[in-house]
Amino acid sequence: MIVQNTLCDQCGTCIAVCPEDALMLNEHALIIDHDKCTECMLCVNICPVAALEKKQ
Amino acid sequence: MKKRWDIIVVGGGPGGIFAALEAAKKGKSVLLLERKREMGVPVRCGEAVGEKDLRSYVDIDPRWISAEINSFIIVLPDGREVKLKSNIYSGYIINRDIFEYDMAARAAEEGAVIRLKSNVQELILKENGSVAGVRTMEAGEMREYYAGIVIAADGVESRIARQAGVGTALKPEDIEPCVQITASNVRLPEKALYLYVGFCYAPGGYAWVFPKANHCANIGLGINGKYSRVSRPVSAYMENFMQRFFPDASVQRYVTGGVPVSTNLKPLTKKNLLIVGDAGRMVNPLNGGGITHAIYSGIQAGKTAAGTCEAPGKAAKYFSQYERNIQKKFGKNHEHQYRIKDVVYQLRDEDYNRIGAEVLNIDIRKRSFLTVFRHVVKHRPEFLGDVLRAFTGI
Repeated sequence: MIVQNTLCDQCGTCIAVCPEDALMLNEHALIIDHDKCTECMLCVNICPVAALEKKQ
Repeated sequence: MKKRWDIIVVGGGPGGIFAALEAAKKGKSVLLLERKREMGVPVRCGEAVGEKDLRSYVDIDPRWISAEINSFIIVLPDGREVKLKSNIYSGYIINRDIFEYDMAARAAEEGAVIRLKSNVQELILKENGSVAGVRTMEAGEMREYYAGIVIAADGVESRIARQAGVGTALKPEDIEPCVQITASNVRLPEKALYLYVGFCYAPGGYAWVFPKANHCANIGLGINGKYSRVSRPVSAYMENFMQRFFPDASVQRYVTGGVPVSTNLKPLTKKNLLIVGDAGRMVNPLNGGGITHAIYSGIQAGKTAAGTCEAPGKAAKYFSQYERNIQKKFGKNHEHQYRIKDVVYQLRDEDYNRIGAEVLNIDIRKRSFLTVFRHVVKHRPEFLGDVLRAFTGI
């Protein structure tokens, strides 16, 4: 997954649905743990502003 | 900074603030850790709160109140407005930023220490699974704080409870991604909560327009998570809504957020960890309101934590009391609301229009919530039981 920081509002909605605990926020940005991420797409679909996308 | 505390609170929203305030009042040493750089903001919230409800927890400072609300208007998919009887609701749209600033200051006056820009990374767990403290990042440095009791008030993300082994991840259908703006130059004819219902506005959710002072309003929209797609996120629904109803609005605040719409988390405690507010999924799943639920659970958690510090032998008893108090206060009610939500948000736009038309035929003085639901039940008899239970509390 990649996050577009210009769109992300750091609201944490993606973190609430992540089944793998692969997402967390620091003070400025969303951090993705690529080792934990299974690319299940739940965060991509739930994001209120479409700030997440699957890495090509 | 001191390393050892009686109680650590993770998260500085209303749940965390009231927990810290309550525990500090009881003379305990309390550390509240907040990730952001300011208390009270950003305000990811419609800010509507019932007057009696709020007053039962705190003396209301007039500075917190942006607008008073006394009615309820449901806007149907066909655009018609169904106004319910006057004085059906007595509430406020508050300024949550001012409210939380003030309450945080009160907690500090009672002796709680608030630490900003402290991003809790993980719990420090003992071998038996109980919590020893937290590891937190402060200005690029990892720090550790220890406490006998930790209160998880970390909001919708709810990562703290998850680390203690409580499954907090929400299914997409149990969360509503939302967008809200605070707009200026919005002239609303009534001091009402305006709710726009139907698939055409917000599938599996609703749009809201809540008046604030100076012709401002919180205008927001939430859809059910199962309808949210990267190709059509909630921000796209919101854009449509604004184009249609408020094309010339000036925007002074834009926030996004996720509202949990499940039933309460179970369990709400784990060893020496207490879970409050959004982190405990305590939001009313039908209307999305959760400010006073966070306040109530925060107060209860603060009391429980302080009591347990004084009598560690009674921890199990106090913790199960906490769980029971929350369940009694709104746990059962939310289970009914959850089932009602399931049916209400599956109504088709034609159903809303038809039910609305029937309610419009009733004298406005008789248009109560019960009347509305009576007509919903007429169309969808299968949820009579839940409506009755939700209204009678049985």
